[in-house]
This record gives sequence, C-alpha cells and structure tokens, in this order.
Amino acid sequence: MGKNRITADCLVKTFTKNEKKSRKVDVNAVDGISMTVQEGEIVGILGPNGAGKTTLLRMMSRLMRPTHGTVSIQIGEEEITDDIEIKRHIGYLSNNTKLYGRLSARELLQMLGVLYGMSKTDTERKIEEISDILSMESFLDNRIEKLSTGQTQRASIARCLVHDPQVYIFDEPTLGLDILSSAAIIEFMKKERDRGKIILYSTHYMEEAEYLCDRIVMIHRGKIVSEGSPDSLKAQTGKENLREVFAELIAKEGIADEH
Amino acid sequence: MNTKIIRTLVRKEMLDVFRDKKTVVIMLFIPVILYPLIFFGGMQAVAMISASMKEQNYRIVVDAADDGAFARMLAEKGKEQDGGNAETAEETAAKQDEEENYTITLVDAGTVGDYEAALNDELIDVYVSGALQNGKMEYDIYYLSSVTNSSYAKNIVTEAFDEFREVLTKEKIREAGLDVHEILEPILYEKKDTASSEQSLGSIMGSILPFMLIISLMMGTMYPAIDTTAGERERGTLETILTLPVTNRQLIISKFLTVAAIGIVSALLNICSMGGIAFYMYKVADMQTDAEAFEIGRFLPAILVCILTVFVFSLFVSAVTMCITAFAKSYKEANNYITPLMLVIMFTGYIGFIPNVELTQTMAMIPVANICLLIRNMLLFKIDYTAIAVVLLSNVAYAMFAVLFLSRIYDSEAILFGDGKSGMQLFEKRSNLQKGGVPTVSDVWFAVALTIVLVMYAGSMLQMKFGLAGVFGTQLLLLCVPLVIIFYTKRDFRLTFGFRKTAVRNYPAAAFIVTGFYAVNVVISTGLAGLFPDSTENVVTVFDKLMSGNILAVLFVIALAPAVCEEMLFRGMILQSMKEKYRVSAAIGITAALFGIYHMSLIKLIPTGLLGLVFCYVAYRTDSIYPAMLMHFLNNAFSVIISCCPEQVRRIFPIFYQDTLRFGDVLLLLGIGLALMGIGLYILKKGSRRGRKEEKADF
Repeated sequence: MGKNRITADCLVKTFTKNEKKSRKVDVNAVDGISMTVQEGEIVGILGPNGAGKTTLLRMMSRLMRPTHGTVSIQIGEEEITDDIEIKRHIGYLSNNTKLYGRLSARELLQMLGVLYGMSKTDTERKIEEISDILSMESFLDNRIEKLSTGQTQRASIARCLVHDPQVYIFDEPTLGLDILSSAAIIEFMKKERDRGKIILYSTHYMEEAEYLCDRIVMIHRGKIVSEGSPDSLKAQTGKENLREVFAELIAKEGIADEH
Repeated sequence: MNTKIIRTLVRKEMLDVFRDKKTVVIMLFIPVILYPLIFFGGMQAVAMISASMKEQNYRIVVDAADDGAFARMLAEKGKEQDGGNAETAEETAAKQDEEENYTITLVDAGTVGDYEAALNDELIDVYVSGALQNGKMEYDIYYLSSVTNSSYAKNIVTEAFDEFREVLTKEKIREAGLDVHEILEPILYEKKDTASSEQSLGSIMGSILPFMLIISLMMGTMYPAIDTTAGERERGTLETILTLPVTNRQLIISKFLTVAAIGIVSALLNICSMGGIAFYMYKVADMQTDAEAFEIGRFLPAILVCILTVFVFSLFVSAVTMCITAFAKSYKEANNYITPLMLVIMFTGYIGFIPNVELTQTMAMIPVANICLLIRNMLLFKIDYTAIAVVLLSNVAYAMFAVLFLSRIYDSEAILFGDGKSGMQLFEKRSNLQKGGVPTVSDVWFAVALTIVLVMYAGSMLQMKFGLAGVFGTQLLLLCVPLVIIFYTKRDFRLTFGFRKTAVRNYPAAAFIVTGFYAVNVVISTGLAGLFPDSTENVVTVFDKLMSGNILAVLFVIALAPAVCEEMLFRGMILQSMKEKYRVSAAIGITAALFGIYHMSLIKLIPTGLLGLVFCYVAYRTDSIYPAMLMHFLNNAFSVIISCCPEQVRRIFPIFYQDTLRFGDVLLLLGIGLALMGIGLYILKKGSRRGRKEEKADF
C-alpha cells in the first residue's frame, strides 16, 4: 500500500460538437478509462490521432475536468484528490505548453519556485542542480524566444523539474526533435524512473515506446484496446514488433466497430 | 500565500508585457513624444500658412460705374497695410501686431477680359462689378470659394465695402446737417461675462477632457488586455500556466490588475502630456492677451475626482476589454472583436459634447456616459456627492461583474481548448463553399452591420425623398441583404428563413399573443414617454406625415412589407443562425436586442426589443416564420389603424389616445393583455405537445 501512484478511475470526457445539420452531437473523447501508474514505472500511451490521448493526459494532470470519473495521487500514506494539490505533484509537458518567450529561463524558474511555494534558497539550489543536469548554464539568462529548438525543449523540461514532482506526464515529448535531443529526453525519463518517479507519456514512435516503456496502454476511440508490457502484447498478438501489434489491434477494433 | 502568488503572477505579466516593444511604443512614445511633436508641428504649419496668406499680394479688378470711388477706397486700404499711411507711431505698432501685411494690386478691367475665366485661372483673386440701379450703386463681388487666396481677398473687399458704406453714410448724415454720432449710435451697449475665468475654462475642458481620458484609457488598456489574454493563447503559454497549482481566480485577478495598472499609468501619462500642452498654450495666450488669470486651486476637487474616475474607469475598461479579448485566439482576432467595443465607447464618450444632457440618477448608472458627465460637472463646479458615489460605485460594480464573467470564460474548457469555427464565409471563394445549412454567425453579424448602415443612410434618404414609397424601398433593400448572402454562400433558403409549415392552430395563438402584447406595450410605451417627454414629439410628427396617405397603401407599406421583409431578416436569417451557435435563450435575446436597436430610436428601444422577444419566442416555439409574420403584420396594422382612423377608434378605445394612463387603465390594459397572451400561449403549448407526440409516433 505504501507505493506512490497516480490512479485514474473511469474517466469520461464528453465534448459537444456542432454537426453540419443543425443538431448538436455529444462525443466521448475519452470513454471510461481506468488506469494506475506506480512509482518506478514508465507507462506509454499509444493510439492513432484523435484516439483521446491528449484529453486523457490533460484530465490526469487536472488541466481539464473530466465529465465523469476521478483522478487521485497516492504519496506515502497520503491520498491527494484536490486539483491544486495534485498539480503540485505533477510535471506536465506537451507541445502546447510553450514558455514565456520574453522571460529568461532563470526568471521563469524563479517565478515557478514561488508559485509552487518553495523558499528562495531552495529554488536557487534547484535551478543550479537542473542547469547542471540539462547543461543549461550557457543560455540560462537568455530570453527564451532567442533559444534554439533543442535549448527550448531543455528549458521546458527544466520547467517540469523545478518543483521536484513525483509524477511526470509527458504528451509526445520527443515529437519533432532530432535524434540527440530525443535521446536526451529518453535518458532523462529512464533516470527519473530509476529514482522512483511515476512516468506516464504518450508517443507515436513505436520503437521508442518498445525500448522505454514498462507497460503500454493502447487506446482507440476513447477506450483501452489492450494493455501490458511490450513483450506480453507481442505474445498476445503473435507479432514481431510493436508497430505490427498496433496495426493489428487498431484494424481489429475498426472492424469490430462497424458491426 | 494568496497575495504572494498574485504578486508573482502580476510581476510575470508586467515583465511579459513591458518586454514587448509594441507596449512601450504605445504607452510611452505616443503620449510623451508623439503628441507634443504633432502639436508643435501643427502649430508651426498653421503659423506658416497664415503668414504666407498675409504676405500675399491680392489682384483685384474693380469694374464699377462709380468714378473709381471704391477703387480708391480699396487702394487706400492696401496702402494702410504697409503702415505708410499710419498717422501715429502707435497705430503702426498696432497694425504690425495684427500681422496683416498684404498688398493690393488693382488690375485694370480692360486687361482681364472674361472675369470668370480669369478667376478660374487664378490670374485675379476678386472681381468687383458695380452699376447704378434706381439711383443706387449695386456691387457684385465675384470670387472662388475653393481657392484660399480668393476667399481671403473677398474678405478684404467686404471689409473695404463696410468701411466704404460707413464713410458714405457719415457723409450723407453730415450733408443733412445732423450729428453723426447721434444718428449712428443712438444707444451704447457692452458685453460683460459674469462667468469666472475658471468657469469658462471648465466649460471648455468639460467636454474635451472626459473624451480624451476615455480614449487614452482605452488605448492604454487595449494592448495589454489583448496581450495577456489572446496573446497568451497565441504564444501557447496558457496551457503552461494551467499546469501550475494556481486557481483560476488568482490567475484572472493578476491579469486584471496588470491590465488595469498599465491602463492607469498610460492614461496618466496621456493626461500629463496633454495637460502640459494645454498649460503651454494657456501660458502663450496669457502673455499675448491680458486675460484674467485663473486659480488652479479651484480645480482641485475636479482634479481629485478626475484621478479617482481614472482609477475606477480603468478597472471597468480593463475588465470589459479582457472579457472580449479572452474569446479570441490571436491578436488579429482580438483586434477584430475589440473594434466594435471601441466604437461604442467612443460614441458614448461624445456625450460630453452634447449640451443639455444632465447627470441624472439613471445617467449615473450608464457606463462611460456617467464618467463623462461627472467630470464635466466637476469642471463646471456642479458638485453632487450622491452622483459621485453612484458613478464610482457603479463602475466598480460593473468591473466586478466583468471579472466574474471573465473567470467563467477561463473556466470554460470549450473556449480555452476549443479551436474555433464558423468564420466568415462571405469572403471565401464561392466554389469552395459547401451547399446547404444556415449562414455562419460571422456572416450574420456582417449582414446586421450592413443592414444598419443601409437603414441609416439609404433608408432615411429614401424616406425623406419619397415618403411612403421610400419606406417600401427601404424594406426591399433590407430583404436584399439576406438574399445576397444566402445566394453567395449557397445556404439553404427554406432552412435559413424558417419557411416551414406549422399547425393551423398556431396562427390564432399568434394573433392572441400579439393582440395581448399590444395592450401591454401601450402601458410600457406610455410609461416610457412619461419618462422622456421631449423625445416622443419628433417621432410622432414623422409618423403622422407617413400616415396621411391612403389607408390601404399605408397598411401595405407599414404593416405588410415589414411583416415579410423584417421577419425574413430577423426571425429568419438572424434567429436561425444564432440558434445554431448559441443556446436558444441567448439566440432569442440577441435577435430581440438587434431588432430593438435596428429601429434606431432610444424611446422605442425597449418596446420594440420586447416585441422582438415575443416574435422570436413564437417563431422558435412554432418552428416557423409564418406565425411571426402574422404577428408583425397585426402589430403594425393596429398602430396604422389607430393613427389613421382616430375618430372611429377613439369612440371605442379612448385609451390609446391618452398621454398618461390612470391606474385603472393600466390594470385594465395589463389584465386584458396578459389574459390574451395567456390564451395564445396555452394554445401554442397544447399544440406543440401534441406535435411532439406525433413526432414520436413517427419513429
């Protein structure tokens, strides 16, 4: 019972869409997903575009309110359900979480320190530590809008790290990065897992997921299609690699759906 | 803890806004550097132009049968300007002070030929002809008003004529052996302004200052409002800030405080800059003339209230602009949204220039207008503490409502994470558009704007020129707007206009409702007319003129045409499109409000708005435009009959011709009206219930 974890319980997110012919239609972007990620575990969310990955991750990091269902975090003996308190323990990163271009990375991290309720000395020490890990010294005081793509991505990761969260939720963190930058992020995730952090992330890169994830959750049309370690998924479907597993599962689901 | 978070967020927003060049330019460069530059540049230009005009040589032709008497007069006047003829040194000095250094060249009439051509070619500036008629010299002064020199020369000639006439008059009086002074000046008078110099200054400032304040505050808040809301979304940092353990309220309050603070600073800078210019002008004027000096101390209360209102108004403007920009996803979009708001605020700001508008209790509640009137009153030394309190508190209250609304926007995931839809289709290539459906809301807004412009200009012109036929023309014009839009964007004609069959019982229901509502509306309009007695008379006379035609023609134009054309626009295109995008209640509210505004009369705004509401409701309930058309026809027909056949109607319903209603009448009208409406609504409800059952049976 003492293990840290994040739990999603039967999450549903309904969007109301305006269809062409004057009627409003409710669409469940996420349709009853329950999952738990424990400390020291990397869980990868795979699924085609529009499967509900981003919505699921947004709900788990409390950016969005679920239509139904709950999210909770267990840290030690404490169970946390309050939105603001949950946010304190999460480092969320997506392609939509841009940084304030007119501030320098240092200013940004200092501001975050205050907002996360850290003391000034703690924040300064943490900034030193992060800039060491991510080798950011050279551009720490430059305005973020002047940084290169790789530098910006490192600053983004620094943003998630400053409050030393227990849970990392990353939405396609390696999208559009070169091999070196994405390798750095992958290494970072592995290191954090080994430190006992909880890591939940989504990706479109199958090889990356196969290499990195302890467990994979495949979702399609807002529902979990299949779940398990990369090896067990391969065994289930009898395929050689994750790419084929993915194609197989989605195709099956597509046919099942038409009936 | 709470204040620490807000302080940090405000600091971040401030840094973010101030590190952008655009803000600094708008906030500092414009008031501190650009205004004085424009002002002094303008002053110099004016000085140069007037100097060049006064050093001008004017060529004047005098072709008159007066033995050259006027020509001599004019030549003398020209010489005087050189200072040559001045008798004393003092006079010379005075002349030079006026800086009138023009010379006059008298051109011989023979050398000119056609005077009109010469004027047009600017060979001469003024042509004066004169002939003796009935023993009196009659002169004609020809000039070109379009040419500055010619106009100026004309003024000189006119002046010369005045002097000429005076000389001749004096001569005649002297010839008659009378005392010149006695005859020309039998009485003496002198104007004495009892207003203190502070009061006269205040009355000038009272109309200009509030307007400038409002504009500068708006300009100051607009940019940061866009930057912190739409700008943040455009830069993609909104989702980042949502990941932080910060509540919505903290986020919004800090954004709001940032915008308001920047607005205040910007407004104060603007005021200081303009005040500096005004002070400079005053000093310059003070040195040249010996106008009474005024005591700045007397303006102290006004200045204090001004500063207070700047604070309160900046809260109001920031909150309201942010509410609007929060819907936008980019700068460009935010700019589009904010333009109408700016226009509304600016027009309301003009209220300070209108004489006779007083700061009444109602006025003190109207945003923007109340600020203008309060500052004006303060500058005129009309100090009313209740009014001050009402104005300040109402602005704070509005700002609070707006902030609450803003936090609701930031609570709405549909707005925050939505990707927006239904843009303008009117400016798309027609071949790219899909067929069917109703027009998008953006297209409809465009249509509304176009309609209002059409009604304002073309409509009133047609009406003035052709009377009843013009009104009919305006209605046809109205119909053109939706028809063109629907044709161009390939929308579904029947769907857009709501041309759908509805149960027969809905027609009598509609008739009951409109008749009942007519009675209720009589009470409302009479009540409103009592509140604003002056405004009705104007409307009544225009209306009466239209009503004087043949009653059938009047019925056709005033009742039938609007029932078709206005209904197709309002309950047709506008309501149907709004219904697609917004909730039904919002769609009905917007359409009704537009219907009220479209009638362009402050006094009719509420009755027509309510009428629109009733039409909309029936159109929505019956899911058809036809009952609404019937209602519109009946409503207008009642008005036509009441004003066309006063004798007959008065005998049966004297109630319609009273300026004020007795309490009993009010009860009677309301009772009958509400009862009729109740019957109508009952029939409608019953019908729709049955209709739904039938619908269900179909499945």
